[in-house]
Amino acid sequence: MKTVDLVERIEGEAKLACSWKNNIISDARIEFLNFRGFELILEGKSPLDALIYTPRICGICGQAHLHTTVNALENIYENIGEKLNITKKAKLLREIGLNIEIIDSHIKWFYMFIMPDITNLSNSDYSDYSALKGKKWIKASSVASETIKSLAIIGGQWPHTSYMLPGGVVSDPTLLDLTSMQNYLDQAIKFFEHDFVGVDFEKYLSFSGLKDVNKINGDLKDFVNLSFENDLEKIGMAYDKHIVLGESTLFKSGRINKRLSTKIDLNRISEDTNYTFNIEEKNDSKDAYGWAKNVKYSNEFYETGPLSRALVQSRKFIKEIHKEYSDSVFTRVISRMDELAHLLYMTKELIKQVDISEESFIKPKISLSDISEAKGVGVVEACRGSLFHEVSIKEGKIDSYNVITPTVWNLGPGDKSNYSIAQKAIIGNTSIEKAKIVLRSFDVCSVCTTH
Amino acid sequence: MVDSQEMVKKVFTQDSARVDTNKGDAYYNSLFEKAKSRLEALKKQPALKDIDMMEVVESEGVNRRDFMKWASATTATLMLPPMFTPLVAEATELMNRVPVIWIELQDCAGNSEALLRSSTPTVDDLLFDVLSLEFHHTLQSASGHQAEEQLEDAIHHFKGKYLLFVEGAIPTAINGGYGTIGASGETFQENLERLSKDAAAVVAVGSCATYGGVPAASPNPTGAVGVMDLVKGKPVINIPACPANPANMVGVVLHFVLTGQIPELDSLLRPKFAFGYRIHDNCERRAHFDAGEFVEEWGDEGAKNNFCLYKVGCKGPMTFNNCSIIRYNDGANWPIGVGRGCIGCSEPDFWDKYAYERPMADANIKAPTGGVEKTVDEFGLGLLTATTIGIGVHAVASAVAGKRTVHSEDGEE
Repeated sequence: MKTVDLVERIEGEAKLACSWKNNIISDARIEFLNFRGFELILEGKSPLDALIYTPRICGICGQAHLHTTVNALENIYENIGEKLNITKKAKLLREIGLNIEIIDSHIKWFYMFIMPDITNLSNSDYSDYSALKGKKWIKASSVASETIKSLAIIGGQWPHTSYMLPGGVVSDPTLLDLTSMQNYLDQAIKFFEHDFVGVDFEKYLSFSGLKDVNKINGDLKDFVNLSFENDLEKIGMAYDKHIVLGESTLFKSGRINKRLSTKIDLNRISEDTNYTFNIEEKNDSKDAYGWAKNVKYSNEFYETGPLSRALVQSRKFIKEIHKEYSDSVFTRVISRMDELAHLLYMTKELIKQVDISEESFIKPKISLSDISEAKGVGVVEACRGSLFHEVSIKEGKIDSYNVITPTVWNLGPGDKSNYSIAQKAIIGNTSIEKAKIVLRSFDVCSVCTTH
Repeated sequence: MVDSQEMVKKVFTQDSARVDTNKGDAYYNSLFEKAKSRLEALKKQPALKDIDMMEVVESEGVNRRDFMKWASATTATLMLPPMFTPLVAEATELMNRVPVIWIELQDCAGNSEALLRSSTPTVDDLLFDVLSLEFHHTLQSASGHQAEEQLEDAIHHFKGKYLLFVEGAIPTAINGGYGTIGASGETFQENLERLSKDAAAVVAVGSCATYGGVPAASPNPTGAVGVMDLVKGKPVINIPACPANPANMVGVVLHFVLTGQIPELDSLLRPKFAFGYRIHDNCERRAHFDAGEFVEEWGDEGAKNNFCLYKVGCKGPMTFNNCSIIRYNDGANWPIGVGRGCIGCSEPDFWDKYAYERPMADANIKAPTGGVEKTVDEFGLGLLTATTIGIGVHAVASAVAGKRTVHSEDGEE
């Protein structure tokens, strides 16, 4: 038997086609059917134009795309031996901006994208979580709105900021601005303490063992209870291989394939399109069924995202949970929400470090439009995992632009020899409801996947 | 290729966008009476949602006085005289009589994200609690087949009454194959045409839905177009910008509730209350433009002193939008506030015309010596002429307008 279900309440839409044998999912396809063609649009444009275009790939993680573009463009300078001087202040403001975006996304993801499906598993009354009108939904939405204002202060607006440039950032916050940003974050921290985990912030940050899960209160407690009632700690396992490409104050790059390796060689990343519609030659392979590509590292599928980040940087609390429940839905959701606490803490610390007397921007000596031929790559850690951009320029124009988003790592179409991460995690489930929760546990973004 | 798409690419809307901020007492008195009877009639209609607006507002800790402040600011945004404030407040409470269906096509969900970010006094509540949002792809509880059924129910139940908000462009190449929706694989174009058929009006939100936006940027690989290129015989309201400002989305709904009509539009079908002036007209850095004080390059002394960004590519003088007044994220900031300049995101085809590497930086600008307005206008017109060589701007604008069903304040519902 085969069933097709729609996955909405993500950015864009996906189709989940499952084959069933004896009431168990024996095969799964995740179809991404919408395409805009950013990479083609960028060809022939001026390199700095990419800073305006790429944030528009996604309404949730535009900041990450902006940051990755600026990293790729700065890498071009590096590759032609032109050293740029990026001040600490500029680096801090970029990282702070990106962190705030992830904070915002994690809050919304929990309340708006995954909890509606999880609370549906229960017969108890969870109407406080109902979309658009539940008390908790509205509160989360307004906390996210308030938090993102701290990004608007340095980014101008959100979504779709463009304040970063090769050489630094254009914004020059005052002390008052920085204080306002801290205040907005304090509100989010308060929400985290009072509503979300019901535990003092410092105390939460000291969680280090499996027994600490029992100390969780608040809305996250609802998730924990629902998880154990519905065996979410037993479903959603993939290969348990993890990759983190980006580095920041909080995140460390590396990969886990049984053992942790901190070496990442970006040249080992490869994409294939055997299962992907083909826009350029209009000759789709017979296996093509969507716009998503496969991406692999050393020819193997790796999971990316908050769980991978927690494991690569050995965050104790998550490591202990992972030891017990592996890469299950439960572990994946808890990892993302645990990351929220660490991001809130770290981002406040980073704001304290900004020295307003430093320069925000130091102009590069050479303009990108004067470079005859060069290549650059950029990576950052975005809400949903590692984001990779590769740009090559010729005669001062973009010759090619390639984007590999976190969702491509996690939700590719798979191939004959191996299922992709999410396919593997979905196969074996006994209901479509649970299959969709597994899928959502990766924080699906359809528009990023196909871009 | 769609002709209107081509035409809007070539034209700015200076002439038709200009708003008349004072239409005279007779006009406003008659509109006032009309709005009053409209609201009376609405009150008699059953509420689609049994929620008392003031209870909602007060439960969020917002008192009546704060709410009235918001109503008065909104009245100003709609460019109505202060006497309309009580009616606007009342209209807010009657928003639950107007069903809204929101669909997403070829988009990034940025406009939905922006909408989520509107508040004070928690317009989240105004919109989500009071406004009858019958369907929203990303935000509603239902998903999958259940969501599809909900949408079908809504369009049948509210036939002819709902406002259809559209976010995202529509790909037309390969018979619409670049974008499909739902279990049946309906193309975006089929979806839009089916759902707009029974709508009271169609509101295109964001630059993608209005002019095709970034997907339509050269070489437009998917043949993306905007809503107005496809929807005919139906009022279409464009709220461009990337993202569109939620205040303007709320404004359009409120205007509809208040008057039963869509607001007065310019030749690009943008509400004049929001797009009736250039952002340059009300820019916080405007005094520096007038004084001839410019940022010459990012990071220089001028940048540190918040000088005018025109020479580093700011498109404020050519961009019609009210973001210099209402700003973004609940008034937290706007692009010019951080010293980056406007990219002209509410103008047609701004992607290909306006992005970073095409600043007007080489333009020979001198500090104005005569009247400020005159100088800036002349300067704006100069550019206008340069981009539309050989085309009578006004004629083209009128031609575009003539193709649409434009409802003005004087038109009937």
